[in-house]
Amino acid sequence: MRAWLLRRVAAGIAIVFAAVSLTFVAIHLAPGQPFLPPDERPMAPEVVARLRRNYGLDRPLPEQYLRYFVQLARGELGESFSQRRPVAQAIADAVPNTLLLTTTALAIDFTLGILIGLFQAARARRRSDVALANVTLFFYSLPTFWLALVLQLVFALWLGWFPTGGVTESALYGSLPLLGRLADRLRHLVLPALTLGLVGAGGTARFQRAALLEALGHEYVRTARAKGLAERAVLVRHAWRDALLPVISLAGVALPFLLTGAVLIETVFSWPGLGKLAADAISARDYPLVLATTLLATCAVVAGSFIADVLTAVADPRVRLTA
Amino acid sequence: MVFAATGEPTTLLPAVTTAAIERDVFDQIFLKLAEIGRDGGTFGDSGFTPELARSWEWTDPLTLTFHLDPRARWQDGPPVTAADVAFTFDAYTDSAVGSDDRTTLIEHIASVTASDSLTVVFKFRDRYPEMFYDATYHMRILPAHLLRDVPRATWQTAAFGRAPVGAGPYRFVSWTPGQSIELAADSTYFLGRPHLRRLIWRVAGNLNNAVTMVLAGEADAVEVLVTPANIAKAKADTALAIYPYAGSTYTFVRFNLRANGDRSKPHPVLADPQTRRALVLAADRPQMVQAVFGGYAKVPPGPMPQVWSWLWKTKLTPTPPDSTAAARLIHGRHLSFHLAVPSTSPTRVQYAQLLQEQYRRLGIELVIDQVDNPTLQQLLESGKFDATLESFVTDPTPSSSVPALWGRGGPTNYGQYSNEKFDALVRTASSSATQEAAQTAWEAAFAALAQDPPGIMLYALDNFAAVNRRVTDVHIQPDSWWGLVRTWRIPPNQLTERDRAGR
Repeated sequence: MRAWLLRRVAAGIAIVFAAVSLTFVAIHLAPGQPFLPPDERPMAPEVVARLRRNYGLDRPLPEQYLRYFVQLARGELGESFSQRRPVAQAIADAVPNTLLLTTTALAIDFTLGILIGLFQAARARRRSDVALANVTLFFYSLPTFWLALVLQLVFALWLGWFPTGGVTESALYGSLPLLGRLADRLRHLVLPALTLGLVGAGGTARFQRAALLEALGHEYVRTARAKGLAERAVLVRHAWRDALLPVISLAGVALPFLLTGAVLIETVFSWPGLGKLAADAISARDYPLVLATTLLATCAVVAGSFIADVLTAVADPRVRLTA
Repeated sequence: MVFAATGEPTTLLPAVTTAAIERDVFDQIFLKLAEIGRDGGTFGDSGFTPELARSWEWTDPLTLTFHLDPRARWQDGPPVTAADVAFTFDAYTDSAVGSDDRTTLIEHIASVTASDSLTVVFKFRDRYPEMFYDATYHMRILPAHLLRDVPRATWQTAAFGRAPVGAGPYRFVSWTPGQSIELAADSTYFLGRPHLRRLIWRVAGNLNNAVTMVLAGEADAVEVLVTPANIAKAKADTALAIYPYAGSTYTFVRFNLRANGDRSKPHPVLADPQTRRALVLAADRPQMVQAVFGGYAKVPPGPMPQVWSWLWKTKLTPTPPDSTAAARLIHGRHLSFHLAVPSTSPTRVQYAQLLQEQYRRLGIELVIDQVDNPTLQQLLESGKFDATLESFVTDPTPSSSVPALWGRGGPTNYGQYSNEKFDALVRTASSSATQEAAQTAWEAAFAALAQDPPGIMLYALDNFAAVNRRVTDVHIQPDSWWGLVRTWRIPPNQLTERDRAGR
């Protein structure tokens, strides 16, 4: 177990180092340069040159690379070019928003997906299964931004039930009581979380249905039925536990999403999360911010994979965490 | 009052920023010595209204003396003094600060000194008609007592830029990154407390989101609508009033007269004036304006936005399209060149496609390269382009941006255009003593440009702001859209829950 752990940690560090290094080289060699104001008013070349000097961008690339990793080793992520403040602050502001959105979306995705999959498997090949299969396929195949725009149009613009975007109603939020603030946050969360959750649930349901149908064909299920167990008990207590394993792996793959966010949804709903932060950073050639979001995303992928392995071992006694 | 913001400021310290979204906010917090009049005139001091300066006089032709309003105070208490003005000039002209206005200021103003606590003296290097404009327009006066000890090289990231203190009608309250910026009316503002109690900018992130927020009633105003579709939606919304105003942007194709990536050689296609003239004649600009903007833009007869309204009153007219004459000038040659277009602007991409189609009919091959803005800027600075499709936001006067973009040696003359006659006429126009004389000289300068075109001037936008109807006394200032918000009102019977919040 210890050897497995050490191996995973070493591999994780190597993966993170490689990802950040590749991103460093790629973003610096990509065409374009930082320090552009958002409107059509390019900065004077002398101002850009001075800014480049201030941020060390006039130094040779290998020197910048070394400086970056020395800085990183000290626990510093640098200054954002586009936000003119420490990268750590920008990340710290975006993380809670992304976590709120993505955990809610994943909760909708897996709760709804697993329940639908379970329901379909229990009624396999009946009309309700076929109907749900079509519905889940429909949602699964929808581009998220398209669904986002439709939900925004219907529920925000036409019906006015939910806001079109943002995290809170800025003008009112400060004067609301605690419950009012919670309700306000919830109202803003509904459409973006539902968009992500519905599309995700379409895939999860299909995955869960297939895994459960496969589990139902195993001999231990026939044995359980032969013992006279109720069909519900066979399905939930025996087959479902087995069918959860692939879903846990799916959750492991989905975990990084908690921190990488959802660029398109965050953009459509003006949600100030990590996905939008990373996309804006790339557009602005904000090298320190791009590298910090890459670092965070890679760490999330490594951690997600690690957690999925541990959870699989917990759920399946046949799996052993060995080197 | 909630504004839907298409972007988010990087800093609110005026000396280090030029972007419109930043100006929208800091124009409420900081004041100039005097504000440009509603007619947008930049000649002499007529039309300018006092702000921090109560009065001014010319001591001699090169010396301008301002007397500050003794009632003016910084929002943290101390009075605004002449030393603050001298400090501000020193900061704006310090290369360590990196102000975009530095070049203009040091070119014309020799010194700014405080002769007593409320009197400040500007000494100019030369005499020209826009001296007063240059002394007042570029600088928002900054508090020396708060910024003196902040190293100039760190102003770009200074904490002051995230919690500024000014002497204007609104105080800074909060900035929630990615979400909103809030200001509150300063009840002690020496020119009278503004009517709107709170101003909030909600970060929408892009134009579409901003317009959607206003249409949904979640924001009260958006400063530009840009597309005919947005204008139509806003006009159809009975809760919104539409305010047209002159746009300060013009969009153009810039030709590179030097070889792509090698400035030592002429461009094989675009160095030839006859070919450039043919390319202008082959572009049916009136048709493109109609197709894309449905009449909400004009074809400019020169490099000019609509905000220079006095220039539009000249006899200048855009070169009319003439494909026959264009074909004659081309002499059956096969022409081919690349046009770099910012992919983030659907309007400009659409224009590029229309242009491509019009040129195709004449056998001219136009290859469209869609690039993002940082790449476009790099292409321009390195000279690695044939032609670009750009927009430019101007100052209220042509004197600064026209020579910068199109004059020989101009800092942003990336196409290396050179026309001695044009340069001489621009110098004449910039030093003309009267507006009429300047108008005549600019007219001649733009006529010279039309004969030897550095690019194709495609369109100058009409701007439209959408503001909720419950807001009254709305005036949009073309050079600083929300510059007059302090005079806007919401009648008591029109106040909403949002307006009353926090009372």
